[in-house]
Amino acid sequence: MPDPATASSSIGSKRWVFVGFTLIFLVCAWKLGLTPKGLIPADSNHWERTGRFFQAALQPALDYEDANVPDDAEPILVKGMRGILQTLKFAFGAMSLAVPTALVLGFFGSSAWWPEPCGKGTKMILRAVFGASRFLMSFLRSIHELIWALLFLSAMGVSPLAGMVALALPFSGTLGKVFSELIDEEARDAAEALKAIGHGPLQTFLVGIFPRALPNLITYSFYRFECALRSSAVLGFVGIETIGLYIQLSHEEFYYREVWTYLYLLIAMIVVVDLWGATIRRRLQTTEGGCV
Amino acid sequence: MSFAFQLSSVTCQFGDFTALDSIGLNIEAGEQVALIGPSGSGKTTLLKVLNTTRRQEAGSFSVFGHEPEQLSPKELRAVRSTIATIPQHLGLVPNLTAVQNVILGQGGRRGLFRSIRDLLFPSAPDKFAIHELLDRVGIEEKLFSRVSELSGGQKQRVAIARALFQKPEALFADEPVSSVDPARAKDTIRLFRELSDELGFTLCVSLHDVTLAKEYFPRLIGLRAGKIVFDGAPQDLEGDALKALYQLSDEEMMRDA
Repeated sequence: MPDPATASSSIGSKRWVFVGFTLIFLVCAWKLGLTPKGLIPADSNHWERTGRFFQAALQPALDYEDANVPDDAEPILVKGMRGILQTLKFAFGAMSLAVPTALVLGFFGSSAWWPEPCGKGTKMILRAVFGASRFLMSFLRSIHELIWALLFLSAMGVSPLAGMVALALPFSGTLGKVFSELIDEEARDAAEALKAIGHGPLQTFLVGIFPRALPNLITYSFYRFECALRSSAVLGFVGIETIGLYIQLSHEEFYYREVWTYLYLLIAMIVVVDLWGATIRRRLQTTEGGCV
Repeated sequence: MSFAFQLSSVTCQFGDFTALDSIGLNIEAGEQVALIGPSGSGKTTLLKVLNTTRRQEAGSFSVFGHEPEQLSPKELRAVRSTIATIPQHLGLVPNLTAVQNVILGQGGRRGLFRSIRDLLFPSAPDKFAIHELLDRVGIEEKLFSRVSELSGGQKQRVAIARALFQKPEALFADEPVSSVDPARAKDTIRLFRELSDELGFTLCVSLHDVTLAKEYFPRLIGLRAGKIVFDGAPQDLEGDALKALYQLSDEEMMRDA
């Protein structure tokens, strides 16, 4: 039971944390020149546009709003579905690159496979590899996929590979970090038991720890796949041909009903993938341990 | 003659706490021994010394004529592959099936690549042999069940099957009946005895229950506060000997209160 005296003081310190955050927010808002007035559109023109945008949500376009689109162009829904498919392809391609990379980085960024006991020299090498892997993962994920995309686009031009690699790099970093942590958190009792009957360190890791962490790794990869879908859509804004590109082009021309058509398709895709992921999670769920 | 397990003046410490205090002990191949004593008396540590996973701070220990600290990692693994241990919490991989867990019993002998292949594509003869073992311990229908879906008793049977699949020279079990009802406890201990009689491996089981130990084991070793206070036949563990093992001294009563 917590001591009442320290408990009340911890509530007190939490209050100060809250006050501190509020103060920081107010200072930031002041420095940025935020006022509640900024929420209100400046002139009637803006009001009208905002109104049109939300009205368009109720009547998404089933045909192009642009009168200049030739009659024999593909229907907007077909174009939208193509955009969705492209978005899926980029996300899936990026994840196919990121998961294996993350497994390798995560393995070297984990201490679960280290031989115990081991010599001083070996230990130093292991620590160096561990540190290098952790550093590489931090570096990869500290740069956002949009910035990676800009870098690759300027280097390689607008190519599908540039988009895919731009997505794959930060995702490898995040996946690898979480993989290594999930692996290191896994219970070691089976590993100890296997070591006691002559399994080597790497063997113990591969048969006693990794299979145990695997359901969690798969669940997390699915979650990241959903993130990759959103990021892949956003890559359209820098010119990669995904649904985001169509959204941006229609938005620039104020074709809000087209924008909503694409948005609804995007939402539908995310929901479908989410349901699929939930089914897989349920199948992986074990009575013991469970999933994150 | 040479003993299977030989300890002389073995001392094990965890910081300031002395878990084993100058233990001298010999166990012959094929012997069946119960390790008894109150909680914290050093039974688990002694089993860990015997299975080579805990190194003593002082004294000497040899197993099948080898001193573990003299062996290379590879040689040590070879020795370990002949000794089966069933830890108190069994040490099974919960989201693998019974057959996958049991097949890992041979992992020490078979090595890394073979073990991975065994997990993914177990061979027909292995599956057949494991089915027989699970049948022997009474859960043959659980061959392809995930261990996490089994009851506590069934999990223990899987752990026993894994130990048997290892074809051990010696089998250690740490408190195998600490969390089962008395009838089941008797069955489990009887099973260990029968298997040891049948297959000839050295058996050493740590137990809380003295009655059970006396009923099934020809040799009892009593530990208290890291020292051996009894080593002999069950019929000799009576009166004062039993008191010496379990009765609390005044000092200990004070501490517990």
